Amino acid sequence: MVYGTCGLESLCGPGQHQNQRCSGILGTLLTLSQKQQQQQAENAAGAAGKKKKVTAAQLRVQKDLSELSLGSTMKTDFPNPDDILNFTLTIDPDEGMYKGGSFSFSFAINQNFPHDPPKVKCKEKIYHPNIDLEGNVCLNILREDWKPVLNLNAVIVGLQFLFLEPNASDPLNKEAAEDLKTNREGFKRNVRSAMGGGGVRGETFQRVLK
Amino acid sequence: MDETTVADMANGDGSRIKWKFLDRIVSRQGPFADPDNPIGEQALQMLSSVKVLVIGAGGLGCEILKNLALSGFTDIHVIDMDTIDVSNLNRQFLFRQADVGKHKAEVAARFVESRVRGVKITPYCGKIQDKDEDYYMQFAFVVCGLDSIEARRWINATLVGMVDEENPDSLKPLIDGGTEGFKGQSKVILPTMTSCIECQLDLHAPRAAVPLCTLATIPRQPQHCIEWAHIIAWDEERKDITLDNDDPEHITWLYQKALKRAEDFDIPGVTYSMTQGVVKNIIPAIASTNAIIAASCCNEAFKFATGSNPSLAYPPPDANNYMTYSGDDSIYTYTFTHEKKDDCPVCGNLAKTMEIDPSWTLQEFVESFAERPEAQLKKPSIRSEAKTLYMQSIASLEEQTRPNLAKKLSELVSDGEEIAVSDPALQISFKYKLVFKS
Amino acid sequence: MATTPPPLQGPTSKEKKYDRQLRLWGANGQAALEEAHILLINSGSGVVGIETLKNLVLPGAGNFTILDSAIVEEADLGVNFFLASDSLGKSRAEQCCELLKELNPDVDGHFSSEPIETFITKPDALDPYTLILATAPISPEILEIIIAHATETLTPLFYIHSVGFYSHFSVHLPHAFPVVDTHPDPVTISDLRLLNPWPALTQLVQEKTAHLEAMSDDDHGHVPYVLLLLHFLEKWKSAHDDKAPQNYKEKSEFREMVRAGTRTSNPEGGEENSEEAVAAVLKNLNPPELSSNVKEVFNSAECVGASPDSQNFWIIASAISSFHKNNKVLPLPGSVPDMKAKSNDYIALQNVYKTKAREDFAEVLSIVRDIEAALERTNPIDEKEVEAFCKGAAHIKLVRGKGMHIAKPGETIEWLDRAKFAFGSLTNPDSLIHIYIAFLAYDSFGAAHPADGLNGAALAPGTTDFEADTEKMVGMAQQIIDDIIKEAGKTMEDPEYTEVKEQSQKVVTELVRAGGGELHNISAFTGGTVAQEVIKVITKQYVPVDNCCMWDGVSSTISVLRL
Repeated sequence: MVYGTCGLESLCGPGQHQNQRCSGILGTLLTLSQKQQQQQAENAAGAAGKKKKVTAAQLRVQKDLSELSLGSTMKTDFPNPDDILNFTLTIDPDEGMYKGGSFSFSFAINQNFPHDPPKVKCKEKIYHPNIDLEGNVCLNILREDWKPVLNLNAVIVGLQFLFLEPNASDPLNKEAAEDLKTNREGFKRNVRSAMGGGGVRGETFQRVLK
Repeated sequence: MDETTVADMANGDGSRIKWKFLDRIVSRQGPFADPDNPIGEQALQMLSSVKVLVIGAGGLGCEILKNLALSGFTDIHVIDMDTIDVSNLNRQFLFRQADVGKHKAEVAARFVESRVRGVKITPYCGKIQDKDEDYYMQFAFVVCGLDSIEARRWINATLVGMVDEENPDSLKPLIDGGTEGFKGQSKVILPTMTSCIECQLDLHAPRAAVPLCTLATIPRQPQHCIEWAHIIAWDEERKDITLDNDDPEHITWLYQKALKRAEDFDIPGVTYSMTQGVVKNIIPAIASTNAIIAASCCNEAFKFATGSNPSLAYPPPDANNYMTYSGDDSIYTYTFTHEKKDDCPVCGNLAKTMEIDPSWTLQEFVESFAERPEAQLKKPSIRSEAKTLYMQSIASLEEQTRPNLAKKLSELVSDGEEIAVSDPALQISFKYKLVFKS
Repeated sequence: MATTPPPLQGPTSKEKKYDRQLRLWGANGQAALEEAHILLINSGSGVVGIETLKNLVLPGAGNFTILDSAIVEEADLGVNFFLASDSLGKSRAEQCCELLKELNPDVDGHFSSEPIETFITKPDALDPYTLILATAPISPEILEIIIAHATETLTPLFYIHSVGFYSHFSVHLPHAFPVVDTHPDPVTISDLRLLNPWPALTQLVQEKTAHLEAMSDDDHGHVPYVLLLLHFLEKWKSAHDDKAPQNYKEKSEFREMVRAGTRTSNPEGGEENSEEAVAAVLKNLNPPELSSNVKEVFNSAECVGASPDSQNFWIIASAISSFHKNNKVLPLPGSVPDMKAKSNDYIALQNVYKTKAREDFAEVLSIVRDIEAALERTNPIDEKEVEAFCKGAAHIKLVRGKGMHIAKPGETIEWLDRAKFAFGSLTNPDSLIHIYIAFLAYDSFGAAHPADGLNGAALAPGTTDFEADTEKMVGMAQQIIDDIIKEAGKTMEDPEYTEVKEQSQKVVTELVRAGGGELHNISAFTGGTVAQEVIKVITKQYVPVDNCCMWDGVSSTISVLRL
């Protein structure tokens, strides 16, 4: 077999190197390219080939964003619409103990997405058993249970759920969890007070009422 | 079994005596080699005529540079952004104590040049992302010795994106190696023809993590205390200082925080070394494993450059392209074909060239997708690398990008630029290279 | 603003330099490495041995000596990185030694340019060395002397070939080479002893699970799964004649019983600790059977009949064997995997396991002391060694070193108890036995064509006449194959026989193609594998190759065979 010794027919096209005995893959590619280089130099003058390509992370985020279903209780804000890797998500719960509040989360996605999960932090100082005073969020799929098959929608649904069902059993804010466990009514009052910018157990919270 | 003689190939002093062993084997037809591959001079010429790029001048990179130089390659480039640390010296054998703090690429290049006569090594001390396609186009192939998945994904996507079906020279084989302790793997990628780094992403297990709430409230292991200090305590107490994993004062601070927390919870076992390991995510690394994996990578490079024996990934797509090595319990290798994924976001949908009229408005362009036979998209969202042209599904982005609809394409993209088109109806995004009709 | 903490007793400069490897073999392994003195008997084009040493000098193997009578030639510079242009005409041993020493100031390098033929005749010539690397070609007579020394002094020996795209090494270990610290996969190591709980554990179970039903959701969801399993086991046993689940069916039933204990009325609708318990049922309810490796150790003559000058390993093994006879279990390692639990409950559980492990260790130690007294041994074994053995007892490994083949012209290779295995390998496509056979033929060829005068160096097949030498070598390999078939007492019919011969012919041709020359990549690869094995042997950690390893650089595969 002469044609196709390199196995790269799809690139080379049949018969192009019948007289070119080449060494390995490289040889095939190089001997071929020598012939074509001149022609390409002429073509290259037109369309430049050094534009930056859309990165794998961007591609994936674009896809995730186009599949996002935010509903009426959530909205996004992109400080720079050309940068889709950094944005803010605002959740306005319409039921549950946090109803009436407005909570914003910063999303920072790196170029290693979706191998790495997005970094999500709550931008306000709030009273919540699963969100600490620094804004760290305890949500399994943001850390130990993250998998590249998960998408941004899953994260957003998870965040929404935190406001419907705050989880007292594995808290980040121990005091809030203690309140929720021992005195649900008291906890509710504390949530209202904190959302209004009041203090709970000597800690002052940010006003997040709409 | 004919034997071609190797004529004097100009090599400085004109002698090939130095390459006696290598020349002999390349000059003889091997029983496993493709009989159509040339032997002798023509095969050897390939070694000295191609430019090779090595990414990384660390544990694998040092070995790769040495091996390529002693495989007869003469024009080698190397990229690395790092400087030399004392903990590199147990395996990165081109560096000495006196080199600590200098750039790896520079020191490695000079060392191999001085040791192996006739080889030229061009270092670049910086990031791979600093370089554009024109730069990568000059090389015949790329050998990677990296410890970062992100960098691997970047070079992989770049090389896949460079493949131009009209130009065989645009296909740059990528040889990649990785190690951990006594284990490692090496693989050969023919971009667009065989499984790429992105196809193989699921073979790299994400780093195991512990729930944040465990760290915050119910730590049980010394590592939990360290992670707590790292992720929570630092932000609470030293928010204004950027944590530098290489600053001993910072590590010491984390260590003492973790130690105190461990004492509070009666957890034994926090050490300084463990603190460093957890915070920096240190992967054990030894000279011998690097030697194995780097040599395997360079052996593949040598085989496909000379044609002296079949290399991994060749012929595509069925040939074995991946070798794993494990030395923990005796020695095992597993050499297999990792299959290309049809829905790979990088190599599963190559950019198609699309001729457009630059005077079209974006609106007209968006609407045209409803009619394109391969797409028929109702709600396409469109981006280039640098710009969000139009995003339909997110209200705020739609609002922000709506003004673009009235703009001419020539105002938004340049001739030859790549765009990605996504739609809720699509499994993967389409990529197009927009070429202006003149 | 926090104040900068005071500087601590940070890592030493040595710990910093060796950080990435100490995380693998620890301070003990490092100390063993630093006490080693490795002899490299270098022959041929001499690269694979130097590449091996490079990978041992870097991690700090204490001493090395290169024995090599060659003078550096131009051809060396194209394949050996540890020679420079100005090395030409000088002693190869000296030049490589100097350039290797640059890699690590903490390593002592020595060299000798004396020919092996005279070196080896001196009495005690090999005595200073704790491990020997010998690279082919070496004359069979000299190889015999080295092997005899290795056997007699229990010195590990590696015999290495690297030619063209192929390499091979054989490891000659002492007849008994035990490894305690095998670094098993962490998932497999915890022994929770669920089927044989001791009183303190039973008491903890009662304490923590007596009121499961009445617990708050929070407490219920944090009971460590080990305690949950033990709790349900008690329940199961009381309904099953005091027997734990016996078979797969019963275990599955038991698993359903555990699953049914999950509380789902909580906001999460489930419990992580329960999930962990369910997942652990099948893995952890097996009766404490000894692995075949451990049985082999307990049943070996050295263990049964420990003597005053037995290695410490055998004294401890003998003690643990007695412990096992008395208790029907191995000493408890004492580690507990991480699991969903509150901090104090987990620590309490961990302490129960640790305490029991210490008690078991104390029992083993007292048996060790009894044995020592009975044997009138004067040097008591370090407690730490006994403790480490107790921790790793379930995963110890005994490698039985075996002699290696010496190929001599006109003599038949003996396969003994490996003949049937070798026969089976001939037709196994994954086995690289044909490379091994080709190297045997290679040595035999070299021994039959000694000497172009220089130091009696053997002439490699294919040095000048590719075709003629290939023909000879193919015939020699064929003879070895026929001898294997004969010694195995088997026959091989066509088409198999022809296929085997064709495969052998190809491999031999590939080998002769190189004319005895090394390719740097193949030698660098092999230098890496041999160095890993040397480290395993010196540190007595991980499990070394037993006993032949072939690397095929054409197909990029390795095969390890006991031959």
